[in-house]
Amino acid sequence: MVKLEELFANEENRVLCLGNEAIARGAIEAGVQLFAAYPGTPSSEASTAIIAASKKLGFYAEWSTNEKVAFETAYAASISGARAMTACKHVGINVLADALYSAAYMGTKGGFVLLVGDDPHCFSSQNEQDSRWLGVSAQVPVLEPSNPQEAKEFTKLAFEISEKFESILVVRSTTRISHARSDVQFDKYETSFREGDFEKSNRYKCLPALARANHPKLVSKMETIKEWISESGLSVIEGQNDTEYGIITSGISYAYVKDALEILDKDVPVLKLGMVAPLDEKSILEFARDKKNIIFIEEVDPYLEDRISALFIQNGIVPKIHGKCTGITKKYHELNSRLVAEALQSVIGGKLASVGEIQKAEEEITDFIPFRPPLFCPGCQHRAAFWELSKVVRKNKGIFASDIGCYSLDPWVTDTILCMGAGISMANGFSRVIKDKPIFAYIGDSTFFHTGLTALANAVYHKANINVLVLDNRMTAMTGFQPNPTEVIDIADVAKSLGVEYVVEFDPYDFENGKKIFEDALQHEGPTVIIMRKICANEWWRQQRRSGQKIEVYHIDPETCIACGTCIVQYQCPAIYWSIDTNSKGKKYSVIDPSICTGCSVCSQICPVEAISKAVDTDE
Amino acid sequence: MSKTYKMIVCGVGGQGILTITDIIVIAARKKGLHVLGSEVHGMAQKGGSVVTNLKIGEKLHSPTNPIGTCEVLVGLEQNESLRYMKFLKPRGIAITSNTVLFPISWKKDKKAADNAKEKIEENITKFDVKLVMIKAENLAIEAGLALTQNIVLLGALSQVEEFPLTEDELRDALKQRVPAKYVEQNLKAFELGIKTVKNL
Ligand SMILES: Cc1ncc(C[n+]2csc(CCOP(=O)(O)OP(=O)(O)O)c2C)c(N)n1
Ligand code: SF4
Ligand code: SF4
Repeated sequence: MVKLEELFANEENRVLCLGNEAIARGAIEAGVQLFAAYPGTPSSEASTAIIAASKKLGFYAEWSTNEKVAFETAYAASISGARAMTACKHVGINVLADALYSAAYMGTKGGFVLLVGDDPHCFSSQNEQDSRWLGVSAQVPVLEPSNPQEAKEFTKLAFEISEKFESILVVRSTTRISHARSDVQFDKYETSFREGDFEKSNRYKCLPALARANHPKLVSKMETIKEWISESGLSVIEGQNDTEYGIITSGISYAYVKDALEILDKDVPVLKLGMVAPLDEKSILEFARDKKNIIFIEEVDPYLEDRISALFIQNGIVPKIHGKCTGITKKYHELNSRLVAEALQSVIGGKLASVGEIQKAEEEITDFIPFRPPLFCPGCQHRAAFWELSKVVRKNKGIFASDIGCYSLDPWVTDTILCMGAGISMANGFSRVIKDKPIFAYIGDSTFFHTGLTALANAVYHKANINVLVLDNRMTAMTGFQPNPTEVIDIADVAKSLGVEYVVEFDPYDFENGKKIFEDALQHEGPTVIIMRKICANEWWRQQRRSGQKIEVYHIDPETCIACGTCIVQYQCPAIYWSIDTNSKGKKYSVIDPSICTGCSVCSQICPVEAISKAVDTDE
Repeated sequence: MSKTYKMIVCGVGGQGILTITDIIVIAARKKGLHVLGSEVHGMAQKGGSVVTNLKIGEKLHSPTNPIGTCEVLVGLEQNESLRYMKFLKPRGIAITSNTVLFPISWKKDKKAADNAKEKIEENITKFDVKLVMIKAENLAIEAGLALTQNIVLLGALSQVEEFPLTEDELRDALKQRVPAKYVEQNLKAFELGIKTVKNL
């Protein structure tokens, strides 16, 4: 990742950075004055960079408790004339949608940008939802960059367009743009900020009569923007003019098309849309009018294809359509230049090297390649908590509604994972129809403040007989260790003040205590709240190493070890592995890798033969 | 250079995959070459399978390298090298550490693990590639820091014909990228990587 100083140095420079960092630079060059966001892959690095820069550049930025809070915070700044921005991952849109849809009616004043990171292929997500539809459903303009440089330029431009039309501007990135790395041209920027001033107006009250009046204004605003795009330079036509074929694309798919045409050695005109909502109807119709075939290349939903096909019908032009409807690309997962080359070849021809031999070899080895899912880090407190819990849950045949965070990696007891904050509410629902089994919910601190709070209030209000387990690892670990309100608000106090009668806390590494508490909690009519508080082991370990502190690691005695696999196979601490050689009884034994053991002690507590103990001090 | 040089670096989260790409990218930039990479952030980093795409050249568009296109694969773990072998083009070069990290499915059965381990190389040879197997762990330990296995492989990579960056260019970038207090061990690891390939 680029050095922070380089990221906001106020000079012209070519800097090697991530797409997300380029977006952050775009926001800085545009003079963003207030930034608020909730983390989520693949958007987080943009927010991290802007928040870090804010301290140096003297503007306000925060990690908010959730996307809706972040959006609303930024929106207020915008309607006070300041340039404001928020960022989230695609599913974050669902959380802020309530504010977004009405804010779109009311419009903005200072430039307002909503960065959304979509994740085709679900690299780090629970679905592949496609944010381009916001342009239709929420009626907000959507810009779609196709590389890191454009990501920076479009972010900057988004502020300008937003101010020009008093509209919220969505910048839609995808994982392959946000996490692409390339050299990006940075420009100089102004550092003076405007003073905020709120001009009172009925426009900002979404009461029915006012909203009814605002909606036609929004519709005509989108019409105006539509007229404007064709002059904006955002739609680009490349390639030789040709009446046979034309390709329409946008975003990362454009990059795949460029590569694919090179591979196929074909020159076919391409219309690349920089703005995907509203659609640049003028340029699209001009491009397509004389063509017999129009090919759509886009990831996931047939967004351009469906909308532009409708446009063709409305305007009486009838090219043959190739795209998702003809199956040349799929409606799921990401594309790459090969997939696009294959798709294009099926329509326009061209030569494409066979990969038959490789595919054959691949088939022969697929079953052999082991599945390697991500795991809890060595010493992870979640793993410790789940170990004890899983026994209690299994013994009582409980139902376990988990949530979204590092704890989603639990290999043992999780029954459901839906979306952030769903664990507690689903446990409530389970408890209403399943009477003979204990119901558990599991939630992390960040998720607790994100959407767990309201669910817990509901559970208390309706006396849900559930056991809520909060793992407070002091940060938002999964998305890169961001801070959250647990730093200053005690979750135990929150639960108590909400009216939860049974609130206990314990250290998840302390199994003896944990066992007693879980059994005890089950005797109580719920909701109960059990808080396991322990700093994220990974972050703790890094802090220790950085500050040169010694870590007291554990060690396994080869002669005592009976190779039962409790620590390796069942507990699955990644720091433990099977020995290469054998002990004096000719048996393999388990070994701890001292370079990654965090010294959590858990393996020593679960070893049935007490083979594991603190390592004697040797100099590393 | 007119042709685009495509490569991938793979391994298990935590093995220093991003460091290798960082160094290459720094060196390429210094030389005035364009680079485009695609990295993995987030979930998979926790001990999962990780792959990074890299392109060096003039006309760079998409950030990923599809099946059958890479000149070189640098693998920090044998299973992972095998997993991504399909991305190499025919007769591409696979520089692989002989390290085997057991995924949990293998840890369950000690014997199966040993058997499987023997078969990895055999499976790699099903692909039409040039395999360069390197005892990266031993060499890294010899260099004085077990964590420098990635740098050993980088040394080996510098010897690949047509690789657009020279030994010196990589060495400079390495010094810039690794923590100051470990530069010495890293340079040693780099040299050892060069040497093993020369001795092949
Ligand atoms: C609506 C929404 N926003 C953001 C995310 C991305 N995300 C996944 S897990 C997570 C944080 C979880 O933090 P916490 O509950 O404290 O658990 P930890 O990872 O620290 O164990 C976030 C922000 C998401 N999945 N959904
Ligand atoms: S980052 Fe922290 S919370 Fe997440 S798995 Fe690792 S130790 Fe556990
Ligand atoms: S003490 Fe045991 S369980 Fe804890 S990190 Fe070390 S090896 Fe893993």
